[in-house]
Amino acid sequence: MIARDRNWLLVFAVCAALAIVYPLFADGYQLTVIRDALIFGLFAASLDFFWGRTGILCFGHAAFFGIGGYIMALVTLNDAIPFGSLLGIAGAIAGAAFVAAIIGYFLFFGGIRGSYFTIVTLAMGVICQQAAISWSSVTGGDSGLIGIPPIEFDLGGTHVDLSQDLPSYIFVASIVAVVVLALWSISRGRWGTVLTAIQDNEVRAAALGHNAPLRLLVTFVLSAAIAGLAGALYVCMAGLVAPDLSGLLLSTEVIVWVAVGGRGTLLGPVLGAIAIQRAQQTISSFNPSLWPLLLGCVFVIIVFVLPDGILSIYARLKSLFKGGRQAQ
Amino acid sequence: MSDVLLRAENVGIRFGGLQALEALNLTVHDKELCCIIGPNGAGKSTFLNVLTGTLRPTTGSVRFLGHDIGGLPLHRIARLGIARKFQIPSVFPSLSVEDNLKVARWGAPSPARPIGELLDLVALGNRAATLAGGLAHGQKQWLEIGMALAIEPRLLLLDEPTAGMTPQETMATAEMLLRLKGEFSIVAVEHDIRFVRALNCETLVLHQGRRLRSGPFHDIEADEMVRDVYLGRR
Repeated sequence: MIARDRNWLLVFAVCAALAIVYPLFADGYQLTVIRDALIFGLFAASLDFFWGRTGILCFGHAAFFGIGGYIMALVTLNDAIPFGSLLGIAGAIAGAAFVAAIIGYFLFFGGIRGSYFTIVTLAMGVICQQAAISWSSVTGGDSGLIGIPPIEFDLGGTHVDLSQDLPSYIFVASIVAVVVLALWSISRGRWGTVLTAIQDNEVRAAALGHNAPLRLLVTFVLSAAIAGLAGALYVCMAGLVAPDLSGLLLSTEVIVWVAVGGRGTLLGPVLGAIAIQRAQQTISSFNPSLWPLLLGCVFVIIVFVLPDGILSIYARLKSLFKGGRQAQ
Repeated sequence: MSDVLLRAENVGIRFGGLQALEALNLTVHDKELCCIIGPNGAGKSTFLNVLTGTLRPTTGSVRFLGHDIGGLPLHRIARLGIARKFQIPSVFPSLSVEDNLKVARWGAPSPARPIGELLDLVALGNRAATLAGGLAHGQKQWLEIGMALAIEPRLLLLDEPTAGMTPQETMATAEMLLRLKGEFSIVAVEHDIRFVRALNCETLVLHQGRRLRSGPFHDIEADEMVRDVYLGRR
């Protein structure tokens, strides 16, 4: 347990160091590519916080990403609202959390678990995407909303303007680092241990005095809030919001990122998101139709060969060598 | 012995056309040990489910310290001070023995016993870091008793605590319960007569959902009717 925590912190430190030195070697375009990938990494970590600790798969997590994105867009595009960026982020987090709280309340207290939960959340994602397309007077319909300004606010006297590549990269990377570290410390402590117990045997946990539905609900709401934050950050960096951001494709992609990176590790999904998006850009640049095929194959191979994700390669090799030595 | 902890009155339960329990009464005093026995299908587990509030009786009521507990959520019942050990050992297999006990303590309103003492009580002191999924069957049963103790119960309900245990483990479990007897009330549902004999306490015999006999175990054991039922003659 202690060794596992130490390893995690070590990997985290290495990633943080890489993120700090990366701007020295990268040009502006490369920085924005990694920045956007990091935002999707944050989104993947949010799903992993729920799926990795409860074992319940949400197949509509993009709904919360999209809700956060649309709220951010509507708030910052409205000139009448002061402190648009900060209020937008707060609204995006609150909006996603609110929707998750309502849906989660009925599902968790109604005893919906496992595949049934997955199916209901799948429908939720489709409904959100349809709403974004159909409610065109507010959401801009199929084409979405464009011209969303970059994040800009005053913090203790200093003016923060994220219209440039480097500041926005630093801002996003710091948020991702802080949130992932916070989620990790929550999930390794008492909260996470009880969630693991609930995943093992919910009735037993309840018979010991734990309010399991409430704990699952709070975890789900927290997960959705962070997905909303990721959505808000993304639309400001991209400058536009579209129905695709709450769609089934993104919901599926985020599951692949988490599965490839390693469910339950929080850091793995961030790395998985970055790696897969880099691969996508490279491969699509010489043959666009090859990508979905390759992604599908990689996913199947990972699920069969490395069910704990790419971060588990090291542990697997170690146990392989250990097993070899014991055999001798 | 005068203070009543749990009182079940005229409990009856129907599953569709089947009258699973009928007109059962049970009073458990503070710090009392009692057993519920009966052949397979007598309604022992159903009655225990009613006593823990998991099943709501069709007629009658179950009161714990004066509260009607029928239909309360499980965690609320646990927080009133009713601990339960399930028939199938249900520990958390992906947590260590120590974490299993920690999760149990965290659920309690006011846990008192430190983890180390709990580990010793259930004879798992040297297995604290082992994943509970890797324990032997009997050790899982003990761990579950330890988890029930961790919530500092007023009443401990045990559903076949010795199911699947070796005779030695069964006797060790009986000794464990006799040691704990003075601390809180214990109700054990059992199948194994040797175990009940070792406990030698107030016993309620169920047969086809009704009370057949009740009284001290040595009277029960001598009863002709009880023997007939157990041997399948009636």
